[in-house]
Amino acid sequence: MQQSVGNHVLSLEGVSKTYPGNTKRALDRVSFDVAAGEFFSILGPSGSGKTTILRTIAGFERPDEGRVMMSGGDVTHLPPNKRDLRTVFQSYALFPHLTISENVQYPLRMAGMAKPERTRKAMQALELVAMESLAGRLPHLLSGGQRQRAALARAIVSRPQLLLLDEPLGALDLRLRQQMQHTLVSLQKELGIAFVYVTHDQGEALSMSNRVLVMREGRIAQLGRPQDLYFKPRSEFVAEFVGNSNMLPVEFTSSHGAYVGSIGGVTFPEIRGDRSGTARVAVRYDNVRIYPDKDGSATSRLSGIVEDVLFLGTNIEVGVRCGELRIMGSVPASRADSLVAGQAVTIGLDLAEANVFHV
Amino acid sequence: MSRSADMALFAAPAVPARFRLRIDWPQVPVYGWLALIVLIPNLLLIGTSFLSVAGGRIKFEPTLANYVRLWNSAGFWRLLEQTFQFSLLGAFLGALVAYPMAYFVGRVVRNNRSILTVLVLVPLWISLLMRVFSWRLILGQNGVLNSSLVSSGVLDGPSSAFLYTGSSVVLTFAYISIPFIFVSTLNAFEKIPQSLIEASQDLDATSFQTFCHVIWPLTRRSLAIGFSLAFLVTVGDYVTPSMVGGINGTTLGVLISSQFGIASNWPFGAALSIALIAAVSIVVAVVLWSCPQRGVFSGDEAPSSAPPPAAGEGARLSYIGGAILYGAVVAFLYAPLLLMVVFSFNDSTLQAFPLHALTFKWYAELAGNSGLIAAGQRSLIVAVSVVIISSIVGTAFALVLHYRNLLYSRAVELLLTLPLAMPSVVLGIVMVLGTEIVGVPPGLARVVIGQASFIMPITMLMVLTRLRRLDPSLLEASLDLGASRLQSFLLIVLPLIRGAAIGGMLLGLTLSADEVMVTLFLAGPSQTLPIWVFNQMRFGFTPSVNAVFTLLGLFALSTVLIGQLIARRRAVET
Repeated sequence: MQQSVGNHVLSLEGVSKTYPGNTKRALDRVSFDVAAGEFFSILGPSGSGKTTILRTIAGFERPDEGRVMMSGGDVTHLPPNKRDLRTVFQSYALFPHLTISENVQYPLRMAGMAKPERTRKAMQALELVAMESLAGRLPHLLSGGQRQRAALARAIVSRPQLLLLDEPLGALDLRLRQQMQHTLVSLQKELGIAFVYVTHDQGEALSMSNRVLVMREGRIAQLGRPQDLYFKPRSEFVAEFVGNSNMLPVEFTSSHGAYVGSIGGVTFPEIRGDRSGTARVAVRYDNVRIYPDKDGSATSRLSGIVEDVLFLGTNIEVGVRCGELRIMGSVPASRADSLVAGQAVTIGLDLAEANVFHV
Repeated sequence: MSRSADMALFAAPAVPARFRLRIDWPQVPVYGWLALIVLIPNLLLIGTSFLSVAGGRIKFEPTLANYVRLWNSAGFWRLLEQTFQFSLLGAFLGALVAYPMAYFVGRVVRNNRSILTVLVLVPLWISLLMRVFSWRLILGQNGVLNSSLVSSGVLDGPSSAFLYTGSSVVLTFAYISIPFIFVSTLNAFEKIPQSLIEASQDLDATSFQTFCHVIWPLTRRSLAIGFSLAFLVTVGDYVTPSMVGGINGTTLGVLISSQFGIASNWPFGAALSIALIAAVSIVVAVVLWSCPQRGVFSGDEAPSSAPPPAAGEGARLSYIGGAILYGAVVAFLYAPLLLMVVFSFNDSTLQAFPLHALTFKWYAELAGNSGLIAAGQRSLIVAVSVVIISSIVGTAFALVLHYRNLLYSRAVELLLTLPLAMPSVVLGIVMVLGTEIVGVPPGLARVVIGQASFIMPITMLMVLTRLRRLDPSLLEASLDLGASRLQSFLLIVLPLIRGAAIGGMLLGLTLSADEVMVTLFLAGPSQTLPIWVFNQMRFGFTPSVNAVFTLLGLFALSTVLIGQLIARRRAVET
């Protein structure tokens, strides 16, 4: 990520923020850069500070410390209307008394553009999101998905350098959400605008982004490419939040100069530890193998009882009770009929990529 | 978080700690109004109550004599008891019919709900004087009740037993109370999500159990508020008792007003007012305490929709019962008013059936009455001034309260609306004291100040309610899209609160045009129209009063209709 400074549309430098009346920091020394044309996501549970970051970038909140830089210039103390960026609000915030076309024209009108010109530009923006036929409607006559598109058209009509999106798909149903994900990605590629996308949905973040910033309690938990977060989480928090992972306790014992790990009393030679004692290992659901009980020849197997089976379409999620442990596994849906609650099974773990976190 | 951020947008720029005391100019008028219109006049009332009168002049020596006199006066206690008896009984009777009626309109009826609602509320906009006066038409010695009883042979001669009794006051108070209690409980009934009722039925509750354990706990607070509102309105009413109560129906309000009139003992009147406020506060506190509110709707409940078509014999019976009750109450509300309209076209000086010939002479008489025309002009000047002041100040204050971080903003808001909650007789006195001290003489200026003291808060509350319902993101979106604060205000905020502001203006217009109780203290020789009519009635009755009231009623009605039309058009727009 060593890019030249000129390439960054946005940089946060040590931004901290405490809301009045709170003692805990909402943001604690947050620094990151967003490159031109990048799809950058901020991921975290609610209350992790991701919306505060967005509002600080937009200028609705002032940081207590640190700077916000855009294209190299300091914008920390600029009001929202002086910043070259646009926000797509979670509630869409379409002006209820203006038609869709008037809504989209609004930023152009503020910039003093003549009416014919801005009408034309608004139409172009609406065409980009396939909304040109609804230009004359008032917002309350549109469906949620259409309002979303209108809000998007309004945000991109004046071609800002940077677009901020605050959980824009949160209010849509699953099918619309998937459609909009495709729309967003292709729109972003087409326009070359950098997106800063806030979400609590890890699937959304991983599928659309160039890079993802994971936030936890006001601090950066990890920043990296989706595959980095998925395969090399730096903390239990990220592992649990990003991939669907089982966090299993491991006991390392020293043996012949190496540390051998065991889970639930069963030794798994693939796990590498660098000291003895208790640790936790993150095992993603799809690295859990579930075998029928009969197949008892292999080593390094945990035995357990199937507790529940969730049918998810292409695969099924199986919850298995192994003594104290509960292990979730994801297996192809074709096996749905062969796994039922109450069945005895053995479990193998594919630990080659598993990450170990020492306590 | 979004709320505080929303406030921060129009808020003063962040100020370094050592300059924290810097004055935020937009807040100054709010505190100015608070001091001049609310705090100082009320403090004057308290102060005056500790003075005394000697030789017709106020002696400026602190004394407890007035309170001692009150405490030891059996007459005062009897009058207090009688006043509360009238008002509480009136509000209780009103609640007895208004609560089931609100249930009927809010939960049983499916079509034309808004018409059914407006029909009950219209009397609120009709001059109180007119409503009270119309009851005189019915109950009086030459009234409709007497004449029909005599002509039907029930009575040998007209009875004086109907008018000038305690029960005629209670009846009129109940009549006044019904719309207040109806409107506040209707809102509560409409807000209950249908899913809660269905959940209760699903959990095997009978309709009676559902009422006791779901509907009643969710509506009792609103009933208590409506009851308190009706109680507050009637307890400070000194016009109704003097018009329909006579000697037997005297209340504390009448006594207080006379201290500022014939008796001319301001300190004693002030002490009486303080005693009244104290007693009223206790009653309202007990009423609200006995009907607690637990929990709030989280918004996760399904939105309240029209109740599904009721099925079964029981539902049909309750529908019919509700319709009969509703019809009877609406007839009760409108009969006196219609009677007055009918008599205004009746060619007879007697207010009795059978009707004589149709005539317009009472209206013609009005046109030639210079006193009336002058009073009408004064009313117009007052109403226009009050409405302009109230709507500008009210809107501005609402914006300041909503967007600026005021210290104790909740308390400031409550204090600004205090005049609305004060018994009218006390508010009248308070405004006399407040204007007297700054040297505003009795007359139109005084009336404008006095009326603005309670009409401004109404406009302010209406705009404030609207502002609080706006999505805070709208303003942020406007700034984000490159608009300046001024542009955002003019293009986004103003169009969205315009409806509420216009509604407040119309309401203020009818309130100002009909106001008697506060104005009577302030007008001096410059009588406004309702005051002029009131004085006419005291000196004997002419049927042209019917005509004046009919015209006033038409004016109020058309204002309400215009307001409704605007509201409907806006509802379609946004």
